[in-house]
Amino acid sequence: MSFKFQRIRDPLHNLIEFPGDEFHHAMWKVIQTYEFQRLRRVKQLGFSELVYPGATHTRFAHSVGVFHTARKLMGVVKKRLGEEAYQNTKAQRALAAALVHDLGHGPYSHAFEDVGKRLKLTMADHEKVTDQLVREGEVSTALNGLGSGFAADVADVIKKAGPASIYGAVVSSQFDADRLDYVQRDRLMTGTHHGAIDFNWLLSNLEVAEVSYGVDGEAVGKIDTFVLGPKALHAAEAYLLGLFQLYATVYLHKATRGAEKLFTELLVRLVELARDGSVPRTGLPQKHPLVQFAKHPEKLENALALDDYVVGGALSMMADAKDHSIATLSKHLRDRRLFKCVDIREHLSQKFGGEQGKGKDFEAICNALEHKVVEWCKNNPNEIPYILIDKPERPIYKTMSEESKGPLDQIMMKPGNGDEEPFDVASVSQVVKAIKPFKAFRVYYERSDEKAKLAIGHAIDAEVEKWKN
Amino acid sequence: MEELNSLESGAEKAAQIILDAGGELVGKTRLQKVAYILEITGLGFGFSFEYRHYGPFSEDLANGLVDAEVRRLISHEERPATWGGTYSIFRATGSSSKSAVLPSRDRVLQATVKANPVALELAATAAFLAIEGNPSPWAETQRRKPEKADKFLDSAKDLYRQLRLVDTPKALPEIFR
Repeated sequence: MSFKFQRIRDPLHNLIEFPGDEFHHAMWKVIQTYEFQRLRRVKQLGFSELVYPGATHTRFAHSVGVFHTARKLMGVVKKRLGEEAYQNTKAQRALAAALVHDLGHGPYSHAFEDVGKRLKLTMADHEKVTDQLVREGEVSTALNGLGSGFAADVADVIKKAGPASIYGAVVSSQFDADRLDYVQRDRLMTGTHHGAIDFNWLLSNLEVAEVSYGVDGEAVGKIDTFVLGPKALHAAEAYLLGLFQLYATVYLHKATRGAEKLFTELLVRLVELARDGSVPRTGLPQKHPLVQFAKHPEKLENALALDDYVVGGALSMMADAKDHSIATLSKHLRDRRLFKCVDIREHLSQKFGGEQGKGKDFEAICNALEHKVVEWCKNNPNEIPYILIDKPERPIYKTMSEESKGPLDQIMMKPGNGDEEPFDVASVSQVVKAIKPFKAFRVYYERSDEKAKLAIGHAIDAEVEKWKN
Repeated sequence: MEELNSLESGAEKAAQIILDAGGELVGKTRLQKVAYILEITGLGFGFSFEYRHYGPFSEDLANGLVDAEVRRLISHEERPATWGGTYSIFRATGSSSKSAVLPSRDRVLQATVKANPVALELAATAAFLAIEGNPSPWAETQRRKPEKADKFLDSAKDLYRQLRLVDTPKALPEIFR
């Protein structure tokens, strides 16, 4: 049976080809599904376009890019394991997982997830939505064209519910296809010149090696994972440094986060009103997808009906809402009138001569100040909180280090002589050793709100005074 | 249960687990699984868990630990493990005070804080799967974690049986397969 050869032009990878074989035909069918096409309407970086006007690229382009990158990584696996040891079925599961891993993202992705966390909305969790879509959606039918149960196997790879393997590392590891695509794509599309990585050099020096792993202090066994050859040390440093810089300048940019905070408040208010039967006050019709989702957030179809276009289009309607908060927040977002940001962490850092100046006291000062601001907000309640607090922290060595920390969670280097066990890049690189998690502590207030401005100023001054000596 | 729920923050709750465990707890994975077992037996602090690579995991608890360290309710030391990675030791500091531990809570803690961490991970994973409605939690745990199950599944089952003997407010689900 012959299948049609397909291709896509991509701004990052140029030609992404889908050869005329059964596997790629199935992947092409996945791309044609309703759920995958929806990703054309979900921006990869959400509100980042308010800061970087070029950053309007979508989860669709990213997902296809991740698939392409995953194929390159799988090429390394095949080359290093050899034709005999290479397991094509496992590889295909991982490649399909790379393609569909982002299916469940909602509008303005991470800001939408924050709403879900605050209100415990199951279908605002992109991992849960993705899992359900891959197992039961139109996508599942397309995937099962490769064999009954293939879709469930793909879902397990994404959920990391299967045994860890080098094939899984293509989808989830320090060198997974997701990161390798977004770190390049987001840089390209934002136009920032930070965070460049030497992708081809990294790939050319990527190998597969056996490393020991365990749980807490207990050894379990050995497992294959990606390691870098000795000549890739500086490329590995640039890769991690690049990630750090993108967090600081793009992903956690103060204006982007400020917009996300407003979006979260807007959606929380909308859900509250929809739930207590006050839909007419929202400015939206009863049948609007946002209202339907607010009323029945447990329904998958309601989550799927949401995308950036739906939300963006609703802003003008909500700007005329009878409810003051809905109208105000919508106008702020639509017209990019963001709240004023006070970067407290930066401010304190300057006051105390850098974050390291007083060791862990610096974190204690930030925490004490946060506590103070939270208390002030409790004592000064308002429909739209006078002060919005943002205190993100992102480890650059991904969240897998949340539990047992070992070779699978780190970037491992292969020793030059080839005899010894691979080692963590941080053990030989002062640059990597120095990269700490990116942390921020910012507060936002409405620009004309003198009361909030004064309260923030007083809180900072009081805390600085307290800790000065 | 009142004394547990009266704790305000994730940091205090995380520190309390360590304090109740005798003031010291070895391993991040162990800490997560201990907290999970406490939670599903009705002896926990209200942390919510989801499935991650090492089984049930609570982000709120992980954040609570970080905050507890900053607030010096606990100390955290990382040591190199024999297998090449690192493991954590958490210790309660003088800043936190030990309250009377419920006898059932104490018994669950006694059984879990000294258990093999891999066996504990497997037992907690099977419990999580059982609660999610999986018809064969042990078999599914073995499928998901074959290398770990090869060596530690029997100890995990023993540990689970031992935990089920403790009279807790909520019974651990019975797992046959």
